[in-house]
Amino acid sequence: MFVLDNGASTLKAGFATDAQPKVIPNCITKAKSETRRRFIGDQLEDCKDMSSLYYILCHEKGYLVNWEVQKQVWDYVFSKDCFNVDFDSTGIIMTEPYFNFCSIQENITEIFFEDYGAQSLSIMNPSSLVAYKYLIDNPKKLCCAVLDSGYSFSHVVPYVKKKRVKDNIRRINIGGKALTNYLKDALSYRQLNVMDETYVVNQVKEDVCYVSLDFHREMEMAALGNSRENTIWRDYVLPDYTSIKRGYVRPPEQTTGKATSAEQIIRMNAERFQTPELLFNPSDIGIEQMGISEAMMHSVNALPKEVQSHMYSNIVLLGGNAMFPNFKERLVQDLRMLIPEFYDINVTCENPINAAWEGGKALARCKEDLDDKAITKQLYEEQGIAYCVDFYNLL
Amino acid sequence: MEQSTKKEKRGDRVVLDEAQRNRRSRKALDALEQDNYHEDPHANLIMNKKAPKFEDSLNTERKDRPGKRKSARDFKQVRFKKSLAALLEEDRALGTESPNYMTAAAPASKFPKRYFCAVCGMYGIYTCVSCGARYCAKNCLDVHQETRCLKWTA
Repeated sequence: MFVLDNGASTLKAGFATDAQPKVIPNCITKAKSETRRRFIGDQLEDCKDMSSLYYILCHEKGYLVNWEVQKQVWDYVFSKDCFNVDFDSTGIIMTEPYFNFCSIQENITEIFFEDYGAQSLSIMNPSSLVAYKYLIDNPKKLCCAVLDSGYSFSHVVPYVKKKRVKDNIRRINIGGKALTNYLKDALSYRQLNVMDETYVVNQVKEDVCYVSLDFHREMEMAALGNSRENTIWRDYVLPDYTSIKRGYVRPPEQTTGKATSAEQIIRMNAERFQTPELLFNPSDIGIEQMGISEAMMHSVNALPKEVQSHMYSNIVLLGGNAMFPNFKERLVQDLRMLIPEFYDINVTCENPINAAWEGGKALARCKEDLDDKAITKQLYEEQGIAYCVDFYNLL
Repeated sequence: MEQSTKKEKRGDRVVLDEAQRNRRSRKALDALEQDNYHEDPHANLIMNKKAPKFEDSLNTERKDRPGKRKSARDFKQVRFKKSLAALLEEDRALGTESPNYMTAAAPASKFPKRYFCAVCGMYGIYTCVSCGARYCAKNCLDVHQETRCLKWTA
């Protein structure tokens, strides 16, 4: 079995027998320095100069729209250069976004059975794979709530007795992409124009941003500006791709706050925690939606009383935003303030980027469960596309 | 209708109305979904050095990517290519029942909104009279008026 977690920013791919998935950018990139070629997926590793990278993404707000690009990336991933997948002998488990559109599902089904000739195809939400693995690893548990905070958006998806409760899925229209763009805006306006440097700013975000556990106090601290009492600011040395290959944080005790002649630095102050804060308070930038903690409560409150306590004690995190330091702690803290004290809160977060792929791997290992969730080539040929789409929507 | 799109003048200041402010903030939010801010670096590449360059002008408008092989494109891929807006439209036409993309969106928070200075990012307790942006102090207001306020009117 081949497992493909087809994310909007990166796809996580690998055979179910592999220990780890390969994380491959799900896009085609063009570099200013390399005019002779385009980089498909992780060919980007060949590129020496990541400044002003130009992205051609295949997803729009999380949904697959650019098939031309997506097909090229898939072709590359399944080719000899990457995984060398032989579809005559393997089936595939792949992920799709929540409430995926009918026509997208039809296209995927058609591409995998007709173009690639896969032996079987199983399309599921990433959270379903995570919930599957969680409930197998913890056989005593009956329910869980998955918080999937990815590149395009964030979702709360509750599961009761292994079943996805579709009515209670909540979406917040903010994800890693918006955060990076927000940070890019803030830095460009306040310090240095980095509008073209999505790749670099994304690294800055990953390196220095964190979730605040006491927002008000840290705002006061950040207001102190450049003084030594302010323990928040960090100087970040930007890469120039000649001598500095990757940006890094200069420890506060070593920095003078001034860039030497050969480098450019950015001073990150309140931006460090204000960026991820948007996940918890989208209204800060005018998105009229609740934050992820409140959405979690909103989703669970709409469930029957009997299962509510089980939800809070079985929260599973998924998606790259969970990698922010203190993300989990903040979620627990927020929920503690929102829900009655007799509910226990327990959050699991193991490698949130690969979690869905790991779930797919677990599913591939159990033949019975897999048979329930997969459509074989034969079934596809007998029943046609409409049957497949209905089948996936009922999973 | 005509009234609402006209800029109102208060003293010597132009004041945007609610609709214009909303439009501006929606535009700012849409910008957060952009893939790239700059243009395709390969767009104006000419492989043959001897070929004359026609697009050397100061024209900085966004162009369709030239060199795109239109004829080579598969019929199937044309059929596949749909924007999210088109997909939503189609979904509505199909009448997909209740739990769907539209209903899954989380509603507004029940907690009060916080406001931040559009310039420095600290708490913004004052509102710019002209455009409604928040600011925290006179210094920031000056910077705001010089750089952003009414500079890119929707």
